[in-house]
Amino acid sequence: MAEATIPTFMRGKEKIMSLSDAVKTFIKPGTCICPGGFSYTKKPFALAREVIRQDIKDLFVTMNGGASICEFWAAAGLVKLLDTTYIGLEGIQPVAYSVRRSIQDGTIDVEDYSNYGYGLRTVAGRYGWPFAPLMSEFGTSFMDHDTFGKMGLRGKKADGSWIHPSIAPARAAVIEDPFDGWGLRPHAFEGGDGTSNKTNFLEQVRESTAYTGNKGVKVILVPPILPEVTIVLAQRVGELGTTRIEGILGPDAEQAISAKNCIVQTEKVVTEEELRAQPYSNNIAMQYVDAIVEVPYGGFPGQVPYYYDYDWDFWRSYTQINRKDKAEVNAYIKDWVMEDEWTFLSTRPGDGYPTITGTSGLERLFELRADAIYGYKPGLARPL
Amino acid sequence: MAVIRATDPKDWTHVDDTEYEAYCKERGIDPEKYTTMELLCIAAARQTYDYSFIFAGTGLPMIGCMMAQHTYAPNALIIMEAGILDPKLIEVPISVSEARGGYMCSTLSNMADTFGTFAQRGFCTFGMLGGAECDKYGNLNSTAMGGYYSKSARDDGKTGPTVRFAGSGGANNIASYADVGLAMMVQEKRRFPEVNEYITSVTGSRGPLGTEEDRYHKGLFRGAGTTIVSDLCIFRSSPETGELEMAEIYPGVDEQLVRENVSWELKTAKDFQPFTTPTHEEIKIARMVCDPNRIYLGRKTKRDLAAEK
Repeated sequence: MAEATIPTFMRGKEKIMSLSDAVKTFIKPGTCICPGGFSYTKKPFALAREVIRQDIKDLFVTMNGGASICEFWAAAGLVKLLDTTYIGLEGIQPVAYSVRRSIQDGTIDVEDYSNYGYGLRTVAGRYGWPFAPLMSEFGTSFMDHDTFGKMGLRGKKADGSWIHPSIAPARAAVIEDPFDGWGLRPHAFEGGDGTSNKTNFLEQVRESTAYTGNKGVKVILVPPILPEVTIVLAQRVGELGTTRIEGILGPDAEQAISAKNCIVQTEKVVTEEELRAQPYSNNIAMQYVDAIVEVPYGGFPGQVPYYYDYDWDFWRSYTQINRKDKAEVNAYIKDWVMEDEWTFLSTRPGDGYPTITGTSGLERLFELRADAIYGYKPGLARPL
Repeated sequence: MAVIRATDPKDWTHVDDTEYEAYCKERGIDPEKYTTMELLCIAAARQTYDYSFIFAGTGLPMIGCMMAQHTYAPNALIIMEAGILDPKLIEVPISVSEARGGYMCSTLSNMADTFGTFAQRGFCTFGMLGGAECDKYGNLNSTAMGGYYSKSARDDGKTGPTVRFAGSGGANNIASYADVGLAMMVQEKRRFPEVNEYITSVTGSRGPLGTEEDRYHKGLFRGAGTTIVSDLCIFRSSPETGELEMAEIYPGVDEQLVRENVSWELKTAKDFQPFTTPTHEEIKIARMVCDPNRIYLGRKTKRDLAAEK
């Protein structure tokens, strides 16, 4: 240890930054970035919009949990590589159109995992494990397709360094279970088996020679995710970085902790004491947070549980717009984000699409506020 | 597998007839005439069973699992992959992660935890999915058609797949772990090939049962057959061969139409029966309890749109 410097993650209140500084500091062209949240819930849209404003290109997006942010980035032409499980917008648009079109026309190269496969990669990333064990994906095309491998992005360069620091040397590996399926349920205890599961074909599986050529129970190993930056939305963050997520966690804590750097977008920066009074409810330890950006309502047009609901009418309108000509969608999205977040939030809600009440700007945002008991806005008009 | 089902409508969620009539009048919909989406939702609910753990994927299963809880499976527990166990669904969710889906659930955790704590441990007893393409042995493709690879990874000069779908999401995992699977999908010949070019999820036997190609010989240790609920009929895996067979056919649907819309020589199941027309009680519950906004039920299939013309 030659020179003593204070690590960035210990720099206390210096972590609190403006939206534009946080993005400028941590996200560069080509960065491997992992957006948090899930579909319409707790997506850090303010950070996503700032990436569009700064026009940061060639992004390598690694994600599970819905494609809403990736959809905006693909529309803006910022995504080059995608490591994912799902590119849909769930109940509103089965396949996010800009992402779909970019994969079909050769703009984006994509690698696929299943959600549990990817989820285990985030667990391995969180705990610093070399891999995690997966018992599904057997028998599928995941087992013999590897986009990044075919692109030559896996493995090491001549100088011994990884070709890409965020791409594992193999997509997955199969081993024989050294414990012969002992840990799997149903499992015969003296009093019964301890699961609700009704089917058990372990004996057939023990006879199988698939993948290794030898008989026995097989296990798939998946590598950790090691993104350069994770962006996440949390309702509250302490001024040193202690993070509290309310409502569904989705992949957020694992992805945040797996990354080299993590930017937390929050509804409110609070004192550390406020959160440390109930430390068992906090999700991300302070040292994993490198930047804190306070943007109330910055999760618009998504939902932030207990704070506000999604803007259904926006998504209905957007999913018509994103099917237009590619250049037109690109121009739309770049115009939609406006010059800064404050102008955006006071202008864009309710702007350019019909809503039942006809409100816009901040008034529209207030209208979407969630009920404290339900966590969403009961009776929110959701016309098809 | 012997199962319990609440078949007496007296045990179902009650909907007042007067309110129902007013609702239909206001919406301009026929109180007795069901739509294709309503039929899919009701048909799926009839396959579920009580006291099961229904692991529901996104899309139509959101309303399928809700329908099940208000009718045939009042004590079934719903699992949603973003971290939800046993929620009380008051409004239909549009995402497996949204706050509507998490209301009053027993625990709310994260994705890896849901698949680990519940599915891997054996609490995914009924898997309910949507799909884009389904083959003879119940394999679903929800990833891509026309070659999987994107541009830089392919060598046929094409820029990417002809059609890219959403990808697995949790479908692969739900299919791998569920005791019984169910997929709801629209039936067109091109969507029911003999063999899928890409297998995203193994809901059925994968290949002929008892051969090297079946799901167990590939390493999956759970799962005994699947039901595919299409907009024409219901297919079920043969317990002997694993092949999908026609098990029930909807009222007014010609058998020939079903056969024309699959790419293999379709067999009829031994226990084949006509599908009982959706009842007044079922339609009422689907509309007023599950999806009064008609977020899912108001949608139309290509076949619906063609029939309208």
